[in-house]
Amino acid sequence: MSQSPSADIAADSPARPAVERFSYDDAIVRKFTLATLIWGLVGMIAGLLIALQLAFPILNMGLEYTSFGRLRPLHTNAVIFAFAGNAIFAAIYYSTQRLLKTRMWSDLLGKLHFWGWQLIIVSAAVTLPLGITQGKEYAELEWPIDLLIAVVWVGFFGVNFFMTLKNRRERHMYVAIWFYIATIVTVAVLHVFNNLAVPILSGTVINSYPIYAGVQDAFMQWWYGHNAVAFFLTTPFLGLMYYFIPKAANRPVFSYRLSIIHFWSLVFIYIWAGPHHLHYTALPAWASTLGMLFSLMLWMPSWGGMINGLLTLRGAWHKVTADPVLKFFVVGVTFYGMSTFEGPMLSIKSVNALSHYTDWTIGHVHSGALGWNGFMTFGMMYWLLPRLFQTKLASKKLAEWHFWLGTIGILLYVVSMYVAGLTQGLMWRAFDANGNLKYEFIQTLTAIIPMYHVRVLGGMLYIGGVVCAAINYYKTWKSRPAKYEEPVHEAPALTPAYTDAPPPKTRLSEHGHPELAKKIDVWLQGHWHRRWERLPLKFTVFVIISVVVASLFEIIPTFLIKSNVPTISTVTPYSPLERFGFDIYKREGCYNCHSQMVRPIFSETVRYTGGYSKPGEFIFDRPFQWGSRRIGPDLHRVNVSVGKNPYWHYLHFMDPTRSEEDSIMPPYRWLATDTIAWDTIPARMKVANMLNPTEHKFPPEYMNRVVDHAKRQAMEIAERLEAGGGPAAETMADKEMIALIAYLEKLGDDISKTPDEEGEADATTEADDETLTVGAR
Amino acid sequence: MSESTDPNTTHSPSSPVQQEDILTDHEYDGIKEYDNPTPGWWNWLFIGTFVFSIFYFIFFHMGVGPSIESQYDAAQAAHIEVLFGDLGTLEPDQETILAYMNHADEKWLKRGASVFQQQCAKCHGSDGAGVAAPNMTDDKFIHVKKLEDIARVVAKGANKQLMPAWEKQLHPNDIVLVSAYVAKLRGDNLPTRGWAGAVGEPIDPWPTE
Repeated sequence: MSQSPSADIAADSPARPAVERFSYDDAIVRKFTLATLIWGLVGMIAGLLIALQLAFPILNMGLEYTSFGRLRPLHTNAVIFAFAGNAIFAAIYYSTQRLLKTRMWSDLLGKLHFWGWQLIIVSAAVTLPLGITQGKEYAELEWPIDLLIAVVWVGFFGVNFFMTLKNRRERHMYVAIWFYIATIVTVAVLHVFNNLAVPILSGTVINSYPIYAGVQDAFMQWWYGHNAVAFFLTTPFLGLMYYFIPKAANRPVFSYRLSIIHFWSLVFIYIWAGPHHLHYTALPAWASTLGMLFSLMLWMPSWGGMINGLLTLRGAWHKVTADPVLKFFVVGVTFYGMSTFEGPMLSIKSVNALSHYTDWTIGHVHSGALGWNGFMTFGMMYWLLPRLFQTKLASKKLAEWHFWLGTIGILLYVVSMYVAGLTQGLMWRAFDANGNLKYEFIQTLTAIIPMYHVRVLGGMLYIGGVVCAAINYYKTWKSRPAKYEEPVHEAPALTPAYTDAPPPKTRLSEHGHPELAKKIDVWLQGHWHRRWERLPLKFTVFVIISVVVASLFEIIPTFLIKSNVPTISTVTPYSPLERFGFDIYKREGCYNCHSQMVRPIFSETVRYTGGYSKPGEFIFDRPFQWGSRRIGPDLHRVNVSVGKNPYWHYLHFMDPTRSEEDSIMPPYRWLATDTIAWDTIPARMKVANMLNPTEHKFPPEYMNRVVDHAKRQAMEIAERLEAGGGPAAETMADKEMIALIAYLEKLGDDISKTPDEEGEADATTEADDETLTVGAR
Repeated sequence: MSESTDPNTTHSPSSPVQQEDILTDHEYDGIKEYDNPTPGWWNWLFIGTFVFSIFYFIFFHMGVGPSIESQYDAAQAAHIEVLFGDLGTLEPDQETILAYMNHADEKWLKRGASVFQQQCAKCHGSDGAGVAAPNMTDDKFIHVKKLEDIARVVAKGANKQLMPAWEKQLHPNDIVLVSAYVAKLRGDNLPTRGWAGAVGEPIDPWPTE
C-alpha cells in the first residue's frame, strides 16, 4: 500500500510545512470485517429459518422464543445493523484514514465503537426472542439499547470520525467522505427522533410507549424506516463504492460533477420519500402524494450513483472477467440500479395498490440487500483481505464459487418473490363475473407456498456463498505474517493559509450571451463546491440543513394540521386489560404477518367488511401496528366477523389449523398458560394515560383501580369463553390470552358504535365503569 | 482547474467519450476524477420527473382529479350495480328467502355462499359444520324457529354479540342471500367440528313453498 504524498498540497502554501509521519489503524478494520462475516452468517441463517417456517410451519417449534413473529425482527436487525453495519464501519475506517491521510483520531474510541456495537447486537439477539420490542419495524430495539446505540453512534463513532476529519492532511474531502458525513449525521437524527418514547418503569419490565400515536407514529416510523434504507444501506455503500471501485479497477471516477449533483439531490430528496410506505393508509393524501413524487424524483439521483460506479469501469471491463472483486462490484451496482428503478415504480400509487402487503416488497428489499449491500460488502472484503492480512487471498477459486452461488441465489430469491407478490396481489383483488370475490384469503396463501420453497433454495445458495467467504477469510488469516507491517506514511500538515483556485471562465462565447447566462454557466461548473469540500464543518451543516428542512416540510403539517386526523367521537382509550393485550400483540410480533389497515380499495372492504380504516381510529395506538405485510389476513376489522366470540380466538391461538386447515400461523399455546402480570398494569396505564390527549384522560379514581378493572373485564371475557365451550372461566381469567382477546375485541370496533351504544355497552358491565365513559369522553 | 488528458484512453478520435475524458486535478489516495459532464439523458429524465411531479400535484390536490375516497365510492356504486343490477331491495321475509333458496339462477346462492365464506366461515366453518359457533348443517337451532329468523339473527346478532350484528356491514340483499345459503346448509348433517357450547333444539323443517 504505497501512499504517494500529494505534491500539490505542499505547493499550495508559500512556506512548506514540516512533513509529518503517520501510520493507519488497520487492526480495527480487521475486527470489523470479521464481525461482518460472523453476523452476516448469523443474520442470514436467521432469515433462512424464518423462510423455512413459512414453508414448513412446524419449524416454529411451538416455542414462544422461536416463533416467526419474534425471529423475523431478529433477522432484519441482524442483517441491517450487524452485517451491513459492521461492513460500513470496516469500509469507513479503512478508507477514511487513507482519503484524509491521517490515522483515526482515537484508537480507543474505535475500540469502544467496535465493542459497543457488538454489545448492541448481542443485546438485540437476546431481547428480540424474549419479545422485548418496541413493535416498530427496524426500530424494534427497546429504550436501553436505543440509548446505547445513540452513545456508540454519536459519542464513539461520530466523534472519532469528525475529529479525524478535523485533523486531516488532505485539504479537500473526496466524495466518499461526503457520503460518510451524510450517513453519520442523518442516522443520528433519524434514530433519536423515531425512538422518542416513555419507558414503563415496573419491576423488570423493559418496555416503552412512543410519544407519537397512530397516524403520526406511522409517519415518523416510515420517515425513519425509509431513510434507514437511505442513510444506512445506501449512502455509506455509495461511499464504499466511490473508494473501492476506483481502487480495485485502478480507473478514475467517471464524473466529478455527477458526484456533486447526485450527492446533494440524493440527500435532499430521499428524506421526503418515506410516506410511500403508507399509500392508501390513513395517512393524509397530500403526504402520500409527496412520498410518491419525491420517490420518482429520486430515480435519477440514485442512478447517478450507478452511472458513476459502472462507467468508472470503462476501460477496465477486461479485468472484470478475471477479478472476483470487480465481479461482485459490477453485480452489486447493477442491483443498485435495478432496485432504485423498482423503488420509484413501487411508489406509484396504483402500482403500490397491487404490490403493498405482498411479497413483491420482500423481493424488492432483497434485491437491494443481497445484491447491492451484500455484493458490495463481499467485493470490498475480497479486496481488503490480502491487504489487511498482508498475504495473498487464500483461494480465488472459492471467491468465484461464492460469486456464482450468490448470484444464482439472489435470482432465485428475487424472482420467486416477484411471482409470489404478483400472484397474491392479483388474487386479492379478483372478482368473478357476478361480483363475488374470487378467492378466499387462504387460497391466496396456498397459491404462493411453492414460491416459498424456491425462496428457501435461493437463500441457501446465497448462504453457501457466504460460507465460502468465511472459509476463504479463515485460510487467508491463517497465512498472515507473524507480525503485521505498519507502513509509515508522510504528508505535510494542512496550513490555515489557502487560496482557492480562481473561478473558471464561462464556456459561452464572449458575445451574444447575456451576463446572467454566463454567470450560470460558471456556476454550473461547480467551483463553489470545490470550496465547500475543504470546509467540513460548513459542509456538514449544509447536509444537516438539507435533511432537516426536508423533514420538517412533512413533519410539521402532519403534527399540526388537525384535519389530518379527524376526531371520531366513539373512539375511546384502551382499558387496562386491553392495553396489556396490546402489549402482548406487540411482544409476539403479530405485525410481522398481519396488517391493521383496510385500504380504501373496494376489494379490501369486501374482504374485510366494516369499512376502510380511518385516521381517527388510531389515536391511542402507541405504537401504531399497521404492519407492512399480509402473510395472514388484515386484522383491523377482525371484530366484525368474529364478534364477541372469545372461543374462536381461543381455538385459533391453540391451533390455527383448526379453523383454517392450510393456515401457516404457529400455535400460541403459551398464551393459555402464562399469567397476566397484573402488577405491571398500573405502570403501563400511567404512561398511556399521560400520553393520551387531555380530553381522553382517565380520572384519578379510575387510575387507582386499574387492576380491579382489568380483572373484572378478564372474568367477563373468560365467562363468555367458557359459555362457548372453552375451559373454565376461573382457570382462564388470569391468562395472557384473555388480555389479548380483550385487545382484539376492541381493535377497529369503536367506529361501528353509535354514541348511544357506547354508553349502553359500558352500562352493561359494572356500574363502576361509568367513570370509564366519563374519562373517555 | 488544470486539465490533463487521460493517458489510458484508447477510444477512437471520433468517439464522444474521448473528447470528454478530461481529468480534474483531484487525487485522493491515488483515486482521480474525470471532469465529465452529466449525461444528457440523465439530465432530461431528472428534469422530467420534476415537471411530472408539479403537474401531478396540481391535478390531484388542487381540486381537479378525484380523491381516493371518491374513487372508492364510485367503485362501490359500480360494484353494487354488478352485484344486484335491477334486483331492488329484498325483504328479509320467509317468502323472499325461500324464493332465493330455490331460485333458477344459481348465481344468487353463489352470492350467499361468497358472503358466508367471507364473513361466517371463521366461526361456523367453511362447510357450516361449526368451529367456534353452532353447526348449521343439522336440525338444531337456538335463535331460529322460522326461515326469517335467520335473517333477523344475521342482522341483529345474538347471544350478547357472540354472534355479531351484520345490518350495518352487509347490504340488505346480502343478508337475504346469505340467509338463503345458510338455510340450504341444513340437512348436510355434518359432525360438529369444534363448537362445544349450547346447540339448541331441533326445529320444524323449512317450509317448501
